[in-house]
Amino acid sequence: MRHYENLVIVKPTLTAEEIQSSLAAIEEVITSNGGEIATTDAMGMRKLAYPINKNERGYFHVIYYTIAPAAISEIERRFRINEELLRFVTIKYDTNREIAAWTKLVEKAKKGTTAPKAETEVAAEETVAEVAVEAEAAAE
Amino acid sequence: MSEKRKYKKRFCKYCEAKVDFMDYKDVGALRFSLSERYKIMPRRLTGNCKRHQDMITIVIKRARAAALIPYTVTRKAVVTAPFENLK
Repeated sequence: MRHYENLVIVKPTLTAEEIQSSLAAIEEVITSNGGEIATTDAMGMRKLAYPINKNERGYFHVIYYTIAPAAISEIERRFRINEELLRFVTIKYDTNREIAAWTKLVEKAKKGTTAPKAETEVAAEETVAEVAVEAEAAAE
Repeated sequence: MSEKRKYKKRFCKYCEAKVDFMDYKDVGALRFSLSERYKIMPRRLTGNCKRHQDMITIVIKRARAAALIPYTVTRKAVVTAPFENLK
């Protein structure tokens, strides 16, 4: 078993329920492949640093888990098929020092999810803003 | 003058803070090693040691892949407070 972290960016066009259900599906992919989810951290709706597939924002979600290294390729294959995902980043925590950092991050995420900041951008479409507000409410 | 001073001192900021691990999600912490056009600052200007420069390089590239910081900024898009709009 090795320690991993996955950051996934979900499409902003979905409603809050759809986002939650797709996140549940993503977590199900990990657990069904023998992974153990330590904790999750919802970073919430954020502005992307650059547009991905013409989307200016996205719902960031971080999952910390342990899994056998062989299962990662299967998970990434499933993520690539998933059309609700804009982007995913898989990070491996291998050395002792990194694992210590991993446990520290898990503790930090358990204490309180990094609270999504209040939306300051008024320029975004109303639907997107509504989704963000709903997502925030769901995250709390 | 103060701009020059910033790079004249030759010591590694991360060694002084005893940084063992950097998190790519902590965008504010990466700011020191990024130029205002989000290029990775060279070691000769920041005074980072080799070990920490290698760490920060990997972390910055991860953050770029995760759309937390941009790969490039065009000359028109350069702003004075680059990290404000990402929060």
